[in-house]
Amino acid sequence: MRKHFLLVVALVLAAAMLVGCTSESSSLLTKIQENKKVIVGTSADYPPYEYLDEAGNKTGFDIDLMAEIAKRMGVEIEWVDMPFDSLVAAVSSGKLDMSISCFNYDEERDKTVDFSEAYYTTEDAFVVGSAFTGTITVPEDVANFKVGVQSGTVQDGWLTDNLVTPGLLPEANLSRYERVDQAALDLANGRIEVLMADYVPVQALVAQNPDLKVVFHAELSTGPINIVLPDGDVELKAEIDRVIKELQAEGFIDQLAVKYFSE
Amino acid sequence: MNFGQFVSYIAQGTIYTVGVTLISLPAGLVIGTVLALLYVYGGKTAARMLNLYSSIFRGIPPVVLLFILFFAVSKGINLSAFWAGSLSLGVVSSAYQMEIVRGALLSVSGDQLMAARAVGLSQLQSIRYVVIPQAIRLAIPPWSNEAAIIIKDSSLVYALGVPEILRRAQLIGASSHKYLPAYISAAVIYFLLVYITTHLLTLLEKKLAIPSNP
Repeated sequence: MRKHFLLVVALVLAAAMLVGCTSESSSLLTKIQENKKVIVGTSADYPPYEYLDEAGNKTGFDIDLMAEIAKRMGVEIEWVDMPFDSLVAAVSSGKLDMSISCFNYDEERDKTVDFSEAYYTTEDAFVVGSAFTGTITVPEDVANFKVGVQSGTVQDGWLTDNLVTPGLLPEANLSRYERVDQAALDLANGRIEVLMADYVPVQALVAQNPDLKVVFHAELSTGPINIVLPDGDVELKAEIDRVIKELQAEGFIDQLAVKYFSE
Repeated sequence: MNFGQFVSYIAQGTIYTVGVTLISLPAGLVIGTVLALLYVYGGKTAARMLNLYSSIFRGIPPVVLLFILFFAVSKGINLSAFWAGSLSLGVVSSAYQMEIVRGALLSVSGDQLMAARAVGLSQLQSIRYVVIPQAIRLAIPPWSNEAAIIIKDSSLVYALGVPEILRRAQLIGASSHKYLPAYISAAVIYFLLVYITTHLLTLLEKKLAIPSNP
């Protein structure tokens, strides 16, 4: 069995080497402008940032923003839907030109991809069910409860770094979910006591589910959200940043926030 | 969005589920059958190498192979998510199908092969006219099981963003906050696909059964 294991390892390494061999030097921006098309990834299961409307089309804060960015660059968008976990890998392996999916800056992610200028700032929230009797006055208080979080998010990183690693929260009391709505279901069912997630989508969740309520919100893990870009592509980043700043100056992004977040 | 539209949105993913299955299952069958023949009749070296092949691809979770093929290997070649998924599942399935066919070939007793050689058939003719017709019948029940597994495993391509049944159920469930109806719809569609497939294979099994063989 050991022999087989080594072979599997060798296979993975060979695959990884192939990745190393094929790095391109020219900017994606040239390719995008020539083809008049940008391939953008998103995980359309995160209202109100990105979700499906009644007709099954993608809509949301990020979707509208990206549409405007592409319009100002004079290119069409080819949307690719992918689970959130796969998006960073898809950008760094060149399957996507960029990704907009409510990404917070994160050091781990920064090793394989780049981030645009921030286009919006978010907060974290702690959500509990109606049966919850504990108190959360400082964020570290959640270590006393069974906590749920979406895996691979900055909230997951915050809980792991600040509570699990120092030994405050036992690993067994932290449940990681593929999507935030699954965590919300488990919260409603009482399998977890506290859910940590981004404040904006949480408000939509709470509005849909009267059994849930937000007990605490602040900027802990979150903060600015950015577009994820391929690593080291300076020209592409400069162009995207230019458009984002332009849209901020015109108040376009504030209007979008009112449209999607203030219901 | 009314209930009809809701279910129809999820059901539109069936085309991808069926597509992935229709590529990976036959691909696995062809590769698996050739390899099984080599395994059983190809001598010791071939058997040893194929044993390794089987161990590797039955040992790697399909979704890991899928990620390797899509994110690492296909960086140079432009392999779409759909094809990367179908091919990975096909390769994994070929290892399982090789074992199914090998088992079936070995179930036909070696005496029959000797008898066939004794009446003057060549080795190839003996396999072709004596062993394979019996082995096919033996292979159908486990193969029907493999078909059911592949139909359900095809949902793994959702990880690459192929809008098949499961991914569509996730998207519409999250967007409308109606998770339970979304997953139940997906479950019913998968169940129907598997039920119809295994039912058809049972019919085939009955049709091919040798009447005198109790």
